[in-house]
Parts: sequence; C-alpha cells; structure tokens
Amino acid sequence: MEIVRYREDVWGREVLLGVSWDLLWLVIAASFILIMVHAAVMLARKSGPRPSPDGERLSRHAALDRWFHWITAASFFVLLATGVLPIVGVKFPWLTIHWVAGIVLTAAIVFHIVRSLFWKDLASVWIKPSDLAELTGGSAVPLPGKYSLAQKGMHMAMAVLVLIAVGTGIALLAQIDTPWWARSNFLSEAALGWMFLLHGLSTLALIGFAALHLYFTARPEKQFYLRSMVTGWVSRSELAAHHDPARWTPDAVASGDTTVEAPSALGADAR
Amino acid sequence: MSAYDVMPDIELYQPATVEDATELAARLKGKAWLLAGGQDTYGWLKDRAKTTEAMIDLKGIDALKGIREIPGGVEIGALTTLTEITRHPLIGERYSLLREAAAVVASPQIRNMGTLGGNLCQDTRCWYYRRGLSCYRAGGNICYADSPAGMNREHALFGASRCVAVSPSDTATALSALEATMIVTSRRGSREVPVDDFFVGPDVDIVNMTALADDEVLASVRLPDHWANADFHFEKVADRNVWDFALVSIAAALRMRDGRIESARFVCGGVACVPYRLPAVEQAVVGKPRSESTGEQAARLASRGAEPLNHNQFKAPLMENLVRRALRGKA
Amino acid sequence: MTYQHIGKDFTPPDIFGKVTGKAKYAEDFTADGMCYARLLVSPMPHARVKKLDLKAALAMDGVFGVLTADNLPPVEAPNGGILTNEPVFIGDPILAVAAVDEKTAEDAISRIDIELEPLPFTVNPTDSLRPAGPNAREEGNIYAGSPPQVGELHWRQDEVERFLAGGQPSAEAPIEWQYGDLEASFDNAAVILTESFVTTGYAHMSMEPRSVMSYWENGKCFVYGSTQSQSFIIPFLAPMVGVAPENLVYVSEYCGGGFGSKIFPYPIMALPAHFAKKLGRPVMLRITREEEYYIGSARVGFQGWIKAGFAADGRVSAVDLYIVQDLGPKRAGGDASSAGGAVSILYQPEALRLRSVPVLTNTTPRGAQRGPGQNQIAAIFEPMMDKAAQELGLDRVAIRRINAPDSNAKLNADQGPVTSAHMAEALDLGAKRWNWAEKAKRSGRRKGSKVTGIGIGQGYHAAGTSGFDGLVRITPDGKIHLHSGVGNLGTYSYASTTRAAAEALKCDWSQCEIVHGRSAAHLPWSSYQAGSVTIFTHTRANHVAALDAVAKLKEVAAAALGGQAGDYDIDGQRVFHRNRASRALSYGEAAAKAIEMGGKYSGDEVPEDIHDVTKRAVAGIAGTGLVGVAKDSLPMRGTVPGFAIGFVEIELDVETGKHEIIDYLAVGECGTVVHPLGLANQLRGGGVWGFGMATTERHVYDPQNGLPANVGFYQCKPPTYLDVPSNMDWAAADIPDPDNPVGARGIGEPAMGCAVAAVMCALSDALGGHLFNRTPVTPDVILSHIAGLPPTSGPLAINTF
Repeated sequence: MEIVRYREDVWGREVLLGVSWDLLWLVIAASFILIMVHAAVMLARKSGPRPSPDGERLSRHAALDRWFHWITAASFFVLLATGVLPIVGVKFPWLTIHWVAGIVLTAAIVFHIVRSLFWKDLASVWIKPSDLAELTGGSAVPLPGKYSLAQKGMHMAMAVLVLIAVGTGIALLAQIDTPWWARSNFLSEAALGWMFLLHGLSTLALIGFAALHLYFTARPEKQFYLRSMVTGWVSRSELAAHHDPARWTPDAVASGDTTVEAPSALGADAR
Repeated sequence: MSAYDVMPDIELYQPATVEDATELAARLKGKAWLLAGGQDTYGWLKDRAKTTEAMIDLKGIDALKGIREIPGGVEIGALTTLTEITRHPLIGERYSLLREAAAVVASPQIRNMGTLGGNLCQDTRCWYYRRGLSCYRAGGNICYADSPAGMNREHALFGASRCVAVSPSDTATALSALEATMIVTSRRGSREVPVDDFFVGPDVDIVNMTALADDEVLASVRLPDHWANADFHFEKVADRNVWDFALVSIAAALRMRDGRIESARFVCGGVACVPYRLPAVEQAVVGKPRSESTGEQAARLASRGAEPLNHNQFKAPLMENLVRRALRGKA
Repeated sequence: MTYQHIGKDFTPPDIFGKVTGKAKYAEDFTADGMCYARLLVSPMPHARVKKLDLKAALAMDGVFGVLTADNLPPVEAPNGGILTNEPVFIGDPILAVAAVDEKTAEDAISRIDIELEPLPFTVNPTDSLRPAGPNAREEGNIYAGSPPQVGELHWRQDEVERFLAGGQPSAEAPIEWQYGDLEASFDNAAVILTESFVTTGYAHMSMEPRSVMSYWENGKCFVYGSTQSQSFIIPFLAPMVGVAPENLVYVSEYCGGGFGSKIFPYPIMALPAHFAKKLGRPVMLRITREEEYYIGSARVGFQGWIKAGFAADGRVSAVDLYIVQDLGPKRAGGDASSAGGAVSILYQPEALRLRSVPVLTNTTPRGAQRGPGQNQIAAIFEPMMDKAAQELGLDRVAIRRINAPDSNAKLNADQGPVTSAHMAEALDLGAKRWNWAEKAKRSGRRKGSKVTGIGIGQGYHAAGTSGFDGLVRITPDGKIHLHSGVGNLGTYSYASTTRAAAEALKCDWSQCEIVHGRSAAHLPWSSYQAGSVTIFTHTRANHVAALDAVAKLKEVAAAALGGQAGDYDIDGQRVFHRNRASRALSYGEAAAKAIEMGGKYSGDEVPEDIHDVTKRAVAGIAGTGLVGVAKDSLPMRGTVPGFAIGFVEIELDVETGKHEIIDYLAVGECGTVVHPLGLANQLRGGGVWGFGMATTERHVYDPQNGLPANVGFYQCKPPTYLDVPSNMDWAAADIPDPDNPVGARGIGEPAMGCAVAAVMCALSDALGGHLFNRTPVTPDVILSHIAGLPPTSGPLAINTF
C-alpha cells in the first residue's frame, strides 16, 4: 500500500500529489480495532457505581466555549463529509461547501485561540510532567485537575492537526476561485504537493482522533462529559469521582440556566 | 519526454453483443477503454497521455447502430456514425437541429468514422489536459489554464470549478436542446439518464465529463416526440469551418403556437464543461414572437453570470449574438 | 516569342507516384537489418541535463543503443546541434534510442531516468529585453553582428515601456541600415502614419515530417531524406555526417513540403547516419507530427513600429521601420532586413531606415518561411497603404500604381537595380480582370450581419540567382536525359525548369526523360531552391547545358558529315546541314558518334568552372552519350524580383467574427509563364497560406512554463479545403525578364504575401478602415474589437494571444 501519491509537474519532474487515500481505509480499520479492543477490555473490567448527576451543579464549560465546541464540531464534520465522500465515490458539488465550512472552522479556531490566550486558563489544557503519572493507571494515581491527560492529549492532538489542516487549507483556498480572488498558481507545484499531502495526512489523523473522541464521548462512564459540553455543568459527585477538587475548583452554577444556551437537540438528549 | 506516436500494447476485446460488452466492462471495471469510432481514443493512446490495459471495441455490435422510430420518439444507436445521422430522413424531417449539429462536427472524414456516442463522450480539448499534464482533470491538483497567465481563449465562462475546460461536443448541445434521454446499460441493467444529468461539470466530477460509470456503456439516445418538428436553430462558431471545436455554439428548439413561442430550450456549447442551458433566455422568450426585438431582449440575458478568464471575454458577446440570431431565425 | 514547351502544360512524371501512393518518401524506405530510433526531447523550455541513467533502457530486449550529444561533434551556439545537453526549447532533442521497433524504442525512452536543471526562459522578446529580463540562452539573448553571434542586450525599463506603448523607439538596435534623407522626406510628407504591430510566428507545417533513414555500406553513407533541393544538400550534409561529399549517397525523390524549413540539411537529418555508424546497422528516424512542430521550424515573429510618410500625390516619401524579431532559440533572422527590402522595392520610398533587434526566445527554432520578412511586412504595410489612400482621397489600386516599381526600380540599402519589374501593368491587368472599379463599390456593403470587405495586397520576394550547373545527356537510343539536381519540393520545378533545355534542344517532350531525386543518378550542382529562385535559376542552367549540347551536336555532325559546326542546325531530334538537309544525324546517331569521339563530347572532359558535384555527376555518365554540361554564367544585372497581387472579396459576419472569402484573384508578375498549371497552383497555394497567416495560424505559448499549445494540425489551424473558395482565379503579366533565356522569374513567396496582405486589407475595409496591426486576426479579435472589449493580452503580445 502506498502512503504518498506522486505526479509529474508541468516539466515532467516528479512532485507530490498528496496522500494516498488507501490510507483512509487503514485509518478507519485501525480506529475500529482500537475502539473494539478498548470496549472489550472495559466490558471485561467490572465497572463501579456511577456518580450521581444530582446535587450541586458545578460549571465545567462556559457557554461561549460550548458554542465554540459545537460550531467547530459541525464545521469539522461538514469538512470531513465534503472532503472525503467524493473520494469514496459519492459525487456532488462539494468544493464550495468545503471551503465555506473551512472558513467557519478557521474563524472558530481564531476565536478560540484568542479567547484561550487572554481570557482562559491556558494551563488547564497544557500537559505537565506530573500528568504523566496518569499513564501508569491504578488507584495510587492522583485524580486529574479539570482535564485528564487523555483529554489534554486529545485536545493537543486535535489542535495540532486542525491547525495543519486549516493552514494548508488556507493555502489551497488561495489556489481556487473565490468571490474575493481569482486563483493563481502562486505555489510551486512541489509546494502545492506538500500542502495537499499535509492536508490529507492531517485529515486522516483527524478521522482517527475524531472516531476515538466520539467513542469516548459515547462511553457510559463518560457521558456526563458530553452533557457538560451541552449544558455546561457537572455534578459535585461526578467531580469527586473523576477529578481532584484540589486541582480543579469549579464554581457552582445557579440552577435553571443549564440548558438555555445549549443547542436544543443535544441539550434534550443530555437531560 | 518523448513525442510518443506508437500504440502501446493493449488487450483488445471485440464483443459482438451488448451483453458481452457490458459483461466485459463489468469484469474489466476501471481497466478498460471503450472504443467507438476511435477519433478521440487513438490520439490519447498513441500520445501515451492516457493509457489503458484493455480496450473494448464496440464497433462490432450491430445492436448499437442505426436509427429507428420508437413509441414517443426516435432512438439513435450510440455507434451510429455522424454521417449516417446527417443523412437519415427521420432525423432530417423531425430533428433537423441534430442533423445540423452532426453536419458541422470536425471534418467529413471524421464524421464518416466518428459515432454519436463517441462525439457525446469525447473528452475535453483543453490543450493543457490534452498534452498529458497531470492537471485536475487528469487526477492532479492544479489547473494550468486558469491562472493569471494561462492561455484560455477556448475555456469556460460558466460553471468552472478548479477545471475550466469546456464540452467539445456539437451533438451534445443539440441533444440538450432536444431534451434527449440517454440509455445507459451495464450488467446491472439499463437506466435512462436525462441529457441534463448525463453531462457533469467539474464541481461534481472533475475527471469525468459524463455520468457513465466504469462499467457502463452508452447504448442509445432517445429523442422525444415533444420537440419533433419544432423550430430549430443551430450554429457553431469556430476559427475554421472544418475540424475546429466550437468557440461557442448554440442550439435552440422553439415550440410555437399562434406565432408566439410556447416553450423553448436554448443551449450553448463551448462555454461550460457541459452543454450550457440558458434558462433565463428560455423564460424570457415564452409568449413572445420569434423576432429581432425578442432576440434583442433575450440576448442581454444570455451571458448573465459569465465569469470570463483572461482570454475568453469575447465569448460573452458571441453568446449574446448567437441568441439574437437564433430568435431572428433563418435569414 | 513562340515556344514549343515554355508556357505549355505538361504532366510531370512523378505525379503518377503521388496519385497512386507509389511515391516513396524518406520514411517509406527500408534496408536489411534496419532499426528504429525515437527521440527523447526536452520537457523544459531551457535546461541543463544534470543526470542521465540509461541502464534500464539499455537492458531492455530489442534495444540496440542510445545516442547522446556526447557521441556527436560539438556545435557552436546558437547553431542547432543534432542533440543537446542544454535544451533551449520544449521539444529540443536530447537523446535517441534505437530498437527493433518504435514501440520498444518508446518503451525504452519511458524508462530513461533523466534529471534536468531548469534555467531562465522567455517566450516574449520584449520580456527578454527588459533590464533584468531572462536570456533564452546561457550565452545571451540576441543574435546579431557581422558575422552574427550571440550577445546580450537589455533595454532600460523606460525604453521597453515606450516601445510597448507604441512610442517612437529609441532603444539600441544592433541591426540598422538606411538610405535617403529620412528627416527631409518626412518633412515633405502630407500624411504621416505611425503604427505599432505584431506578427506572430507559426509552424511551417510541412505535410511530410523530416524523417530520415541512413546506413553505411563500403565506406559510403546512404541518406534518405526530405529536402527542398537535391544536389545542394550534398556539400553541407557530408560534413554533418562525417563523410567526404563523393561518398555521400543522397536520396530525396519526393519532398512533402519544406516552405523554407528544408533548405539546408537540418541537424536531425544527420542523426541516423551517426547512429547507424555507432550501431553498425541501418537506422530509421521517423519524425512524428508533434516532433515536426518542435523541430520543423517556424516563421520569425515581429514586434514592430512603423512610421510612413506619404506625399500629397500618394507617393511614399519615407518609411522608418523598427522591428524586434522573435528568433526562437537558435540561428535565424534575416526577416527584418528582408521586410525593409520589400518595402523599399514595392513602394520605392525616397528614404527608408530599418532598425532591428533579433531576440532569442525559448520557442520553437525559426527559419525562413515562405516570404520570410516580406510577408510579415506585407500583412502590416498594405493596410497602411489603404489608410493613406483614404486620407489622401485616392483609390486603393491607384495609390499602389503610383508607387509601383518598374524596371528602373531600386531596392535595399544599396539601392541596387532589378532585372525588370512591371507592377503597373500587373495592377492594371488585375484591376481589369477582377473588375476592381465595380467591386470596390461593394466595400462596406451590409447584408444582415455580414459586411463586405474588399482587399488588395501586394507581395514581393527576390526570385532568382545564378551560377549553378546544367547537365543534359543524349544517349544512342535517341533519348534526351535531362539531369535535374533540383529537388522535388512540390512545385514541379524540378521538371518545369528542364523544359528550358528541351526548348533549346528543340526536341519532343516524349523523347525526354527527367533524371532526378537521387545523387547516384548523377545530378548537377543545383541551387538551394529557396527564395523562389528555382524557375529563374534553373531554366538558365538547363538552357546553358542544352546550348552546350547543341554546340556539341553540331561539332559532332561536322566531324561526322563534314563542314563546319556553324553550318549545322537542329530540329526534330536531328542535327542537319543547313543547306543540305540530307547531311544529318539523328540525336541518337550523334550520341553514338560523341561516345566514339570521347573527350568533352562524351563527358570524359569537363569544363573547369563547374562544381565538384557536377564533375562527379559527369564522371558517372561519361562515355554513355553526348553530354551537355555548363555553368550558368549568363548576365544577371540586378536583383530578380518576383511580385504578386491579390484581390479579395470577403463577407465578414460582425456577429460571429467569422469571414468568408467570396472571391480571390492572384496576379503573378513573374516574367514569362513557364508552366501554367504549376504557376496557377503556386498562386492558389500561396493564397491559402496567406489566408492562414492572416486569420488562423499562430504560435500559442503558455508564458508560465514555456509550453507550446500547437503540436498538432488541428491546434495550428492551417486553412482547410472548406475554408477557401473552391475557385481561385489567377492571371500573369507574362512579360519576359531580359536576364532569363526564357524570360522567367520566380513567384512562390509573393504568391503568399499578396494574399495575407489582401485579406488583412479586406478585414480592415469591412470594419471601416480599422487597422488590426497584427496577424492573425481571429474571430475573437474581431468580436472583441466590435464589442469594445479591452485587449486580453499585454501590448505587442506575441505567442500569447
């Protein structure tokens, strides 16, 4: 199986064309196997009682952050569908939807970065050496702060991959006609190949990470995280079960404002 | 680089029935090249700009040839030569639009060899693509024609999406105006594809110009009674009278009632990757007489939405003029 | 004068082969053990070969070997080498592979690992002339000087901008000549026109690509090629293949078109001989249509500026010409000077200045193409004549007649004489035959969307030279063998020029046999057959050879039958005593006697002044008959001009930009008509070429990567049968030239120049006198003009519109 595809440039020199889409099936298969193995292990492992969602509600995600997450998620899946479906043979006019969604994603990310840099606790998502203890597992390991190592890792990986995809996507956007500019071949054909390769590789990796993210979100013991991403809160007992209150001390939220800002469908589910 | 000129080794299949052909097409899916008159094929293969492991020669299949009357219209086998179409009385009497279009395809020699199916399914003539460059249409990631210094006099005004190549087929333009239906067959069975769905633009499929799947064969084209004996206008403007592809062509079918246009189809060739319908013109002329002044009004709508490239601005006024002429009728 | 052969149609003997397909062109020949070569050509417009790995190709079954530039003698820039390690245009041959068949050779080429380093390139001369513009060759960007060599010239930015904007050029021009007082003559002008213009280059489009087959046998090199001439090739090709001229056997019985691109042996012609020597087996190199567009030569393009002054009476007073030439990457480029020369003779201006900048570009190599320079300027200057006529209130034929050259005409920088000229008579003849007075009234007439355009155009080219040899032989069977070293370039001049010998020998055509097409048939030294020279030059050579034979017939008769040679005369294939007709020898008997007498009569002795090629030819036939051989030393008192005038009526559809040629008349002013059918076809064929140059044919290059768009017939758009009128009328002034024994002058190139000019004038006429100042004028150009759209390309864009 090839990883990279090549083509000849206008003068017959070999240049990168992009990623080999054979890898798509590999990523899908690998993600599937990983999830199945994890699910089997978890099934075999006896799960303890789940913490109660009742009681005091503590703020985990501010409304703005939840909006960011879901806008990002929506544009991400639109990008994925419009980017990948034509490759697997579903023909439709995908390009405009793709780049419009890409601009939405880019705007959301810019917003998120700015907000994270100036208004948020950046350290809470940053992986510290002490977090690595979580790798060993077992009861001796201290509970994490706001985010577990896995969550931080997922965030970090997604951040890097999305930035690569967006960065290369912007370069590729400059190569097509848009309402604001006419295309030009300003990138050399070799550089263009690199852009496509990185765009494709980051897409493939994102497919894998997105699959894991969805899987973990769907896991029964972690569904309260999904709810918290919809409604914004976790319960005091959920906090106690999964986080170290010494390392993360969220504020309580007033009751009654929990679903107002959340996308209604997901909010309903979460209830 | 070599200026290749010799046919490479290709496994040749010569089925005698449609069933055998579709069976082969299914078995060799993606690896076989369908051969009709060969007027497009041999250039690609001899230049080695495209290659194929196998070739399915459809010329031996009599069932794909000929013109016959069917309930609701006329059916033309895809392997019917363009010369036969120009000479057949059914076409001349009822669908002279198609006759006129077929009569200006390429050159007399090419019309003798070239088939309707081949003319409809031929690949675009974008010179960059024909050179064998790995552009979008060839599965690459770049367009050489649509860039600030690209030489794109012959390229698209409408519907470009990364690729700016245009449909080269004269008969496609006419068949679009005649609201033809393509009969597409494969081992999975036959399907009817309306002409407007048969041709696809680069936004949907950047490497194919038709909706034919790998295992499908264009078997025939059906012309509906609805447009038989309508008022027609076909015109092709090319650099030379012979051999050249349309800079712009127009096919118009007008259904008249009481001296007024009841319904109409206007289609331009050479301006988009597909035969380009002019719905604004079609709507604007309904209820009006076929006249200079109707033409004058409609012409303004013809090139609306055009997105000219560096060297093809002239196609916009040319389209307008051709609409004007179509409504003016024969001098 | 009444002639037996001159001015009469006849059937050239090769026509049967052409019609039946039995004619053998270079690629139709085979030899035992022959292998096939194919070329690897440059994919880059300018590059250097960095790495070449042939292992995979050479390891293939059926591959015999590879030839690279390193295996060949070096050449000095910008001469075209056979193969190169520094390709200077896309399609420049880098190496050749020989194999058992072409498919294997092509497969082998696809397995060659080659790495090229791209170098700066340009497809536009004015881009190269910019201060830091790219040079087409490492050695520089212009080709000029005496002798010409590659140099470097860049203008100041403001000079470039000024030129592109149509301002009077002030930048340095390496070529400059002038006669007369330019300033004073402009001062005397009533009307001064200033125009800048472009004529783009385009392919020669020879129907037969330049395929070659070669092999070596007993120290002799056999070459089967395609050239305009036959004997002329030998002394040039011999050193190219590395053999003494006497050991080169050259066969070119048919030439499927050359049009200037097959005058001299072209570099690739020597490839099979070198390859055959290396491999020890015959090599066929079949040139593909695409390759023919790469290496088959093309017309030089012009980016220019003209200032022309006209006196109140319509006389052209002064012309100032500035021409930047697009030379391609190799040696070329007399076009600009030729353009100046054409203006100097056609309009006889009091003063003229020509300045020219010959710039190298990374486009297909250029060479002389039918009227090189003369026809480009005809396309531009003739519409200016119309504009001047309009401003001066003169008829368009009249203004040309006012300036028409006669036998006292002067031309070129040195204002030298012509042998004769009768353009006034030719204009009168054409105007009458075409009914100019009536048709001119149709100018601008509107019929629906169609507008009538009436055009008249004039073409010129020097059309004759001298100093070549003629050779005739009469054998004892009475046959007259007319040895013609003239190539069979499609005009039948190889045959029609021998009619001058038959005329002088007063013999039946049925007794004549033309010997031509292969050097082994013993052919005399012949001209280059370019510049329309053949009919003038070789009727002379045939004439002097026939006169030599006639003199010898008389001497042989006197020796056999008594009396003095002067007592004898010839007729009816007999040499007889003037007073006693019974004292006579048939030509056959005289030939037998000549063999018996030997010496000069049988070719055992030859004149000193004939060319080595002819000496060898005579040596080959010595002792087989009576040999007449001589070098043409007849007087030639000036430039031999060839002129033609085209009259055309077009209908231009202003809604589609398309035009139809309704009616065309070509008038030749080329001395005596030697072969009416041949002349008619030259005038018509030249007409078609002219139509193509005016309206369809052009180079298109992608300036981003130097890529040529036209590598096939359909992309190059020569006019087809259905693009030209089915009837094209012709006429000839038919006034003998005093410096040719039968009165003939050449016509090939003017026949095209007059047509391109006439169509350009007609298009302009249809659009109310708008000057396009460029060739070709395609439908999009017309539509854009009518719609008032801005130009799509930059000013003076060449190769990119």
